[in-house]
Amino acid sequence: MNPEQLISCALDIGEQMLVSGAEIGRVEVSIRYICLAYGCQRADVFTITSSIVVSLITADGRHITQTRRINGSGTDLEKLHKLNHLSRYICQNKPDYQEVVDKYTEICNQRRFPVWVEALASALIACSFTLFFGGSWIDGMAALILGVLVRYTTYIMERAGMNQVFTNVTATFLLCLVSAGLTKLGIGENQHAMNIGTIMLLIPGVALTNSLRDMISGDIMSGLLRFFNAVLIAAAIAAGYILAGQIVGGL
Amino acid sequence: MEQSIIQLITATLGSFGFSVLYNHRSNKLIIATLGGLFSWLVYLLLEPLFPSESIRYLISSSAITIYAEIFARVLRTPTTSFLVPSIIPLVPGRALYYTMNYALHSQWPECVESAMYTMQLALFIAVGIIAVTTSIRILHSISVNSKHHSVYHRR
Repeated sequence: MNPEQLISCALDIGEQMLVSGAEIGRVEVSIRYICLAYGCQRADVFTITSSIVVSLITADGRHITQTRRINGSGTDLEKLHKLNHLSRYICQNKPDYQEVVDKYTEICNQRRFPVWVEALASALIACSFTLFFGGSWIDGMAALILGVLVRYTTYIMERAGMNQVFTNVTATFLLCLVSAGLTKLGIGENQHAMNIGTIMLLIPGVALTNSLRDMISGDIMSGLLRFFNAVLIAAAIAAGYILAGQIVGGL
Repeated sequence: MEQSIIQLITATLGSFGFSVLYNHRSNKLIIATLGGLFSWLVYLLLEPLFPSESIRYLISSSAITIYAEIFARVLRTPTTSFLVPSIIPLVPGRALYYTMNYALHSQWPECVESAMYTMQLALFIAVGIIAVTTSIRILHSISVNSKHHSVYHRR
């Protein structure tokens, strides 16, 4: 494997790890060790949520740098697991370029669950957390509908290429309108419990916690970016909620 | 008591749902699901011991990080795989929701207070995770001095 192929392979793997939901530290360490495994004298990696920069000093003393702009995110823990395996495999066995590309392509081509399965999972989550936060059984049943609604809304918006903020405003707005409607019809008693339960699907709680984790462990830049991203999404949810509240006249 | 049992069941189902959304498969799906049960169980068991909600969140998040670290090593996968779905019941969703609700009703002092409280909970959870991750890293650097091992276990 020549150095250009090496740096591009390492970046491919790092990029997909980052997109799948790995912490910054893991991405940097993986890229670094892959490069060092093939005999580079030095490998410097800088990663933030939207970019990766890698500089190498190769075995014969040349300097190479490549940068990637990272777009999109969607937590996919199965893909992360496989990429992690691949990077360990590369470090231990130093396979040639074609083998790495084949394995990498195979991982990237693996399918996720179809949307309807995700919609069912969302319905289950919404129902569970409605009951968790003190809703009655009827509220839980109503939340099943809300969960499906939220998943399909976000799915359609994401496919149309909408940004996260607009997606979250719309999803929360629709969810609050429908939950108010259902309550008026008598399906659902405790509207707050229904709303909290379903909003758990959108709430950036994990993102907020992870951003603080990044910051405490020293990745201040990435931590700040992730923190503001989480705050922005929370603000978007609040905007959708307040908009629906104004229309319905108080939730 | 009845509410606690409902919460334990629904926390488990909630973590299962998120594991599916995050595309977990086979035995990892089961471990991540049981993690949700474990994190909320710890939280409930701490209730009589610690009156402060923040401290309970701190200890439960440490406990679930230990759980995630153990199974990550057993199944050779990143700790994040189990940490993210398992910590879902601890996510300060309710606090965030009430913050929004105060904003909707223009109750600004309550809104600010609630927002600060949400941040406080998130911070305590993060500190709980970091405390465990760091301790494990330190223990490892003491117990293992071969370079090979430190390389593969830091990941």
